[in-house]
Amino acid sequence: MTSAIEFQHVQKDFNGQTVIPDLNLTIQQGELFVLVGTSGSGKTTSLKMINRLEPLTQGKILVNGQDTTTVPVRELRWDMGYVLQQIALFPTMTVAQNIAVIPEMKGTPKKEIAQTIDDLLTEVGLDPAVYRDRMPSELSGGEQQRIGILRALASKPATVLMDEPFSALDPLSRQQLQDLVLSLHERYHNTIVFVTHDMSEALKLGHRIGIMRHGELLQVDIPSAIAQHPVNDFVRDFFGASRAKNVYDVYIGRVGLVQGYLADQPSVAAGKIQTLDTQATLRTAFEALTTHDYVAVTEDDEVQGYLDRQKIMGYLSEHEEV
Amino acid sequence: MNTLIQTFMERRGDLLTALWQHLGISIAALVIAMMIAIPLAIWAVRRPKWAEGLLQLTSVLQTIPSLALLGLLIPLVGIGTVPAVIALVIYALLPIFQNTYLGISEIDASIEEAADAFGMSRLRKLFKVELPIAMPQIISGIRTALVLIIGTATLAALIGAGGLGTFIMLGIDRNDTSLLLIGAISSALLAILLSALVRWFQTAKPKQALTVFAAIIVLLGGGGAYSVYANRTETITIAGKLGSEPEILINMYKDLIEANDSHVKVTLKPNFGKTTFLFSALQHDQIDIYPEFTGSVLETLVKGNNPKSMTAAETYRLAKQRLAKQDQMDLLQPMKYNNTYALAVTKKFKKAHHLENISDLNGVESILKPGMTLEFIDRNDGLKGLKKAYGLDVTAKSMEPALRYEAISKGRINLVDAYSTDSELRQYNLAILKDDKHFFPTYQGAPLMKQSFANKHPKVVQALNKLAGHISETDMQEMNYEVNVQNKSAATVAHNYLVKHGLLKEGN
Repeated sequence: MTSAIEFQHVQKDFNGQTVIPDLNLTIQQGELFVLVGTSGSGKTTSLKMINRLEPLTQGKILVNGQDTTTVPVRELRWDMGYVLQQIALFPTMTVAQNIAVIPEMKGTPKKEIAQTIDDLLTEVGLDPAVYRDRMPSELSGGEQQRIGILRALASKPATVLMDEPFSALDPLSRQQLQDLVLSLHERYHNTIVFVTHDMSEALKLGHRIGIMRHGELLQVDIPSAIAQHPVNDFVRDFFGASRAKNVYDVYIGRVGLVQGYLADQPSVAAGKIQTLDTQATLRTAFEALTTHDYVAVTEDDEVQGYLDRQKIMGYLSEHEEV
Repeated sequence: MNTLIQTFMERRGDLLTALWQHLGISIAALVIAMMIAIPLAIWAVRRPKWAEGLLQLTSVLQTIPSLALLGLLIPLVGIGTVPAVIALVIYALLPIFQNTYLGISEIDASIEEAADAFGMSRLRKLFKVELPIAMPQIISGIRTALVLIIGTATLAALIGAGGLGTFIMLGIDRNDTSLLLIGAISSALLAILLSALVRWFQTAKPKQALTVFAAIIVLLGGGGAYSVYANRTETITIAGKLGSEPEILINMYKDLIEANDSHVKVTLKPNFGKTTFLFSALQHDQIDIYPEFTGSVLETLVKGNNPKSMTAAETYRLAKQRLAKQDQMDLLQPMKYNNTYALAVTKKFKKAHHLENISDLNGVESILKPGMTLEFIDRNDGLKGLKKAYGLDVTAKSMEPALRYEAISKGRINLVDAYSTDSELRQYNLAILKDDKHFFPTYQGAPLMKQSFANKHPKVVQALNKLAGHISETDMQEMNYEVNVQNKSAATVAHNYLVKHGLLKEGN
């Protein structure tokens, strides 16, 4: 894999105060990388330095191996989708005009733009005939952010930056849009840098997760490594805080993350294994384990791993007391 | 109500012209104000300190009383349409600047960030994002400015730019409510109509809006171009001050000049403004001739101390001499009548007490009940000085100008101050007492023009000199009465006088 974005000794000062002392990070091409941290940790600032909304104080950032300061800033941004927490659709433009913003500037033919708009709308489950000419104010929050994402994707950018895009949405819309991001990423394989303060969101979306505090990256790793080998108490607590309040509501996928899955596929009859989605709760798992010996945890119908009663009892006894 | 309709029917033509002028001045001022304020506000959005200063400045400009502003502009740009438009532009700056500035600077920061993050250029962001979002607020600023402009534009009449203010000024001057109402109502209707039009612009499709806007500009521009073209033909422009008397006089001038030289065309600008406006217009060649008073010349137009108790002839000589020396102007021979302050009594009272001169009042001091305007009572060339000059011992009640005529006709007072050619003297059967000690300065009317003009147009001078020594005070009172009270047109009254006195052949 080649690197898409590289932070090299990046320092950022605000009003003479250093908020990010020395950031080094490499994000791979096609990776869905999540930066997570509490507010004031510098995660959003780090993101905005990539498309130069925030200038760097020291160091440099390479995009596709090129120093971002050597590229004309508008061209840099045309190839970098951006999704905002405030959604910020242009209120005087229709849905179609909003999506067309970047392709128009790039001089894409009108016909092609219109086709892209219809395709994209269809893909996120919005009927183009109904939605194309609507104004943003006529859409729900969830619908607006779908358009926000399409606006960022319209010119098929190599990189998409997302700044806490779902934190203002209701839980149901948030979940739907997280799924949408996963499926769109599956299809277009862009590099996505996703900033959030929500650890569960980070765990659900991220190939790798970077945990930030006070402008420093504490740990950058795949979700299971963060769950099982947190580098310090802060990371452990931050991870722990993302768990559901009621232990019955904990996702089965999380047990797998924390405990690790069984090393091998159990050699029992298929009837003894119950298949459950990663998003299934422990409540469902308990019920399944009364009649089955194992659960197979799947995501998008792909088996992530296997759990038995011992693994689950282990999770309950060892981890994450509330 | 009937008189209102009647006046309206009589003045339809004038009203249309005035409306057109009013509209032209207003739209020109609005468009210029927009062209200044909107770009300035856009520029200031990224410079909050400047914006603060500019907001303060435009607010201060708006607090200058409009009359003062017009007065300040006259020495710089003269009179007529230009200073009127400049003044209106100055008033319109604040609402347009403020609304544009606030409209753009109050746009949600996240929207601005989005526009930047998508790599929009500064201009593209402005036209695609910022201006469309701020548009409702900008439009509302433009509407505020428009209403303000149309209201204030009535003052344009004061400096000879015409417009609906002419009706209002004339209404006040002649105490004619119908004229006043027509001017005020038309101006209000115009404001409502244009405000609605601007609101329509906001909702209309860009193409339609642009078409209509272009049509209005072309129409007004065409009108302007036409008037420039029409003025290009060799004409003499004669203006007059506010009121019926100057209007009658300039109509006489026109008749006499055109009868004397068939190649000359005279354009009249009645009710053009007050003394200094007209004088400035003459200096700047915006008009060629206007009737001025000998007394006014010495009082306000030329420099130098005035000796006391001058005869009419002395006053004229001094005025003519100073005008020639200081301003290279020529004041032609004056007419007979003296339009000055005067004391008047009822004809009955005059007869009963054998009064002829002001000095005769000394004998009847004990029964005098004077009612006079506050201004007259307070002036040194009014009652104050008069009492000294004639040794009179009286105390006057101060009264509104219109009320004192009512009061004397009802017998509540028996002595009033007046202008010697007021039509009310005729209306209320009053007689003037002769100023036998020449206390009041003389105000004799005479045509005023530049010396260069007089030299180039000997036939005009010849024609105007025919009026020298004509028209007595009673003649003028009578003619003012016909125009002000009997509602005859000034042109007819002027023509009839000239024919009756053999100055003009019938049929001309």
